[in-house]
Amino acid sequence: MDFGFSPEEEAFRAEVRAFIADHLPQRSGQDQMDAEEGMKNLPALYKWNQDLHAKRWVGFNWPREVGGGGGTISEQMILKEEMARVKAPMLGLSYMGLAWVGPALIKYGTPAQQERHIGPILRGEIQWCTGYSEPGAGSDLAALQCKAVRDGDDYVVNGQKIWTSLAMWAQWMILLVRTDPQAPKHLGITCLLVPMQTPGITVKPIKEMNGGAMFAEVFFEDVRVPAANRLGAEGQGWEVTKDALANERSSIADVWALKHRLEAIRDLARRCRRRGRPAIEDAAIRQRIARMETQVEAMRLNGLRFVTKQLRGEPLGAETSINKLIRARIEIESGRLARDIEGSFGALARKSPHAVDDGRWQKVMLSWPPFVIGGGTPNIQKNVIAERLLGLPHDG
Amino acid sequence: MDFGFTPEQDELRAQARRLLDHELPLDRILASSAAPPTLDRALWKRTAELGWAGLTIPEAHGGLGLCAVDLIVLLEEMGKTLCPLPLASTDLAVAALTALGDEAQRAEWLPRIASGDVVATVAILEASDVPAAEGIGARATARAGEVVLDGAKLFVPDGQHADLVLVAAREGAGVSLFAVPAAAPGVTATPLVVVDATKPAAEVRLAGAVLPERARLGSAGAAWPVLAHLLDRQAITHAAEMVGSADAALRLAVEYAKVRRQFGSPIGRFQGVKHRCAEMLCDIESARSLVYYAAWALDSAPEQVARYAAMAKALASEALDAAGEECVQIHGAIGYTWECHAHLFYKRGRQSYVWLGAPDEHYERVMGALEPRA
Ligand SMILES: Cc1cc2nc3c(=O)[nH]c(=O)nc-3n(C[C@H](O)[C@H](O)[C@H](O)COP(=O)(O)OP(=O)(O)OC[C@H]3O[C@@H](n4cnc5c(N)ncnc54)[C@H](O)[C@@H]3O)c2cc1C
Repeated sequence: MDFGFSPEEEAFRAEVRAFIADHLPQRSGQDQMDAEEGMKNLPALYKWNQDLHAKRWVGFNWPREVGGGGGTISEQMILKEEMARVKAPMLGLSYMGLAWVGPALIKYGTPAQQERHIGPILRGEIQWCTGYSEPGAGSDLAALQCKAVRDGDDYVVNGQKIWTSLAMWAQWMILLVRTDPQAPKHLGITCLLVPMQTPGITVKPIKEMNGGAMFAEVFFEDVRVPAANRLGAEGQGWEVTKDALANERSSIADVWALKHRLEAIRDLARRCRRRGRPAIEDAAIRQRIARMETQVEAMRLNGLRFVTKQLRGEPLGAETSINKLIRARIEIESGRLARDIEGSFGALARKSPHAVDDGRWQKVMLSWPPFVIGGGTPNIQKNVIAERLLGLPHDG
Repeated sequence: MDFGFTPEQDELRAQARRLLDHELPLDRILASSAAPPTLDRALWKRTAELGWAGLTIPEAHGGLGLCAVDLIVLLEEMGKTLCPLPLASTDLAVAALTALGDEAQRAEWLPRIASGDVVATVAILEASDVPAAEGIGARATARAGEVVLDGAKLFVPDGQHADLVLVAAREGAGVSLFAVPAAAPGVTATPLVVVDATKPAAEVRLAGAVLPERARLGSAGAAWPVLAHLLDRQAITHAAEMVGSADAALRLAVEYAKVRRQFGSPIGRFQGVKHRCAEMLCDIESARSLVYYAAWALDSAPEQVARYAAMAKALASEALDAAGEECVQIHGAIGYTWECHAHLFYKRGRQSYVWLGAPDEHYERVMGALEPRA
């Protein structure tokens, strides 16, 4: 066991820190801009992305040939850790473009497709959305029904997608459609890259429990998509959209975000009073905070064990579901814990007189589903762990 | 960065597994668990010849000079089959002698511990159940070249098997540690009847036991900081055994869930069963990561030991307490029978949960370091 890094890796860490000191946009005063502030200051955010891109730290894990950074597993971890440590805005602006569209393009895209899409993703010019889920296909994604029929050089798409995050702002969608209703369900699926401006597409935002509207329904009525926009072969869509690149699996960025949140919760507990005493002195509250600390540490160390496997070239599969499950628990508990620390004030939301921190924690309490339901629910993670890691029988 | 084991450590693990499966399979543990625990001295000697007892003893004193990470490899494997050999208590005594003893004291005891001839343990806790200097009531009184010990030490791991007990006693304003031969006049060890017969423990009484001055390890009244560190070490090594036990309990439950059929299918297909198994794995892997890291800290980052000892013991306690219980439940009525191994893990879980501090105490320690109470 060795938690040190090589001199080259340490030099890289120093390079990242120096870059942060020089480039991380300043907020008012000495404080540096954090991720949340960044969303409110778009010019600064674009400049930040440009600077990152010039270093090839956007798409850092992608091969250099396509414009990525060719970062090693350790370097990826160091870059993410240093950025998350100072709450820097994300590494890149095209969130889904970077997370899965790019990796799929690199593995399955034609040279023309790569040429067209990868640069704009790296430069943060194009926002992508993800058209996978449907009203009848959520956890059982392979049951999707939205259909595409070949007509000359085009596919004609009819059907509906739902829960499509950012659909109202995205210029492109990575879309899964059924091209062969006869084939076994995983094999009749094809992946298309679709401009959101194409005639026949209607986007209807959906309001969420926290009052925001970040995802949408998307309807397709005789939408013509050129066959040249097919990613991978017909019937290969399921395979194409599975995570394909050597992304490091340490969860390090999530861990740092949770560490920052825990600090904020401790700060809240120092300021709020329960039964006339600071909540931080309340035994039950102390237990819950310490338990969360312990879970976050476990997540960090689990991640380091997973990365060690990657570094040693050992296969890494369903283990990462373990950290997803822990994260889901922590996401839910943090809003609930903050509420309990606030006591009766826990009932007060944004804009209310007397709301603590302008209802910041009530928003946290109402905003965990993206991390818990999006991308596979806890029940589905448990199925994955039980079946792939413990060898228990498949259900259904 | 490498958070994994070396090929040598993997080999140590495999060797331990082979030996334990051959010499002390669970059936044999089960058979002996009805009677008060005994120590198989011949087996202890044999493992000592392989280097177990002297694993963390410097080579100059007849040991292998290995470190805590190597030790927890063995302890995790021992935990998988609830092996009752006194390895963890021996390690604790070795750590105490190494930290506090002078060269003569180390030379007196360490080689005989390494050879397996002397079984040693450490007696810190008492009936006060307070793991702090204030909790110690046993007294040492110095008089003309001698020290007289009076008091009762409780929860002494393997105390009934030990030839050498390192006893913490109040001396002046502080706490000292003494090397007390179990055979010395005025020393009696009474076995406790514990829930988990595979984890022997005793009460050690000292009634005017007279020792030479050189039995004191370190200077008078100055031992507490080292003892506090030893309690952390003990929490970590115990948690390592617990992780092994929790893993084995889960595997036992999973294997049964694959073969037992009800309603026309293996019970492992029902999510009430399989999801509990997935959650257990999640908690066991988390505890395991914390134990491994805590052991590394023992060797390489002393300033981090207290925090990670507390976290490791808390999570290992929760993981094993749940895994033992689920193991019984998943077996149905068979799980309630003496023949089934499930109860062995259940007992280890229920006992170890409170042994060396229940999770709430450890969470308070985690918190105390971050947010001291006013
Ligand atoms: C904030 C947010 C953003 C999202 N963004 C996108 C996006 O951009 N693009 C996109 O395509 N999708 C997106 N999704 C959809 C997301 O992938 C699905 O919500 C998710 O896969 C679950 O599907 P579902 O909502 O239909 O729930 P269902 O599958 O209907 O599940 C409902 C409940 O049943 C349980 N359940 C289902 N099957 C099983 C089973 N076999 N065993 C045990 N329990 C089961 C689930 O755990 C859950 O508790 C988003 C979701 C959220 C919340």
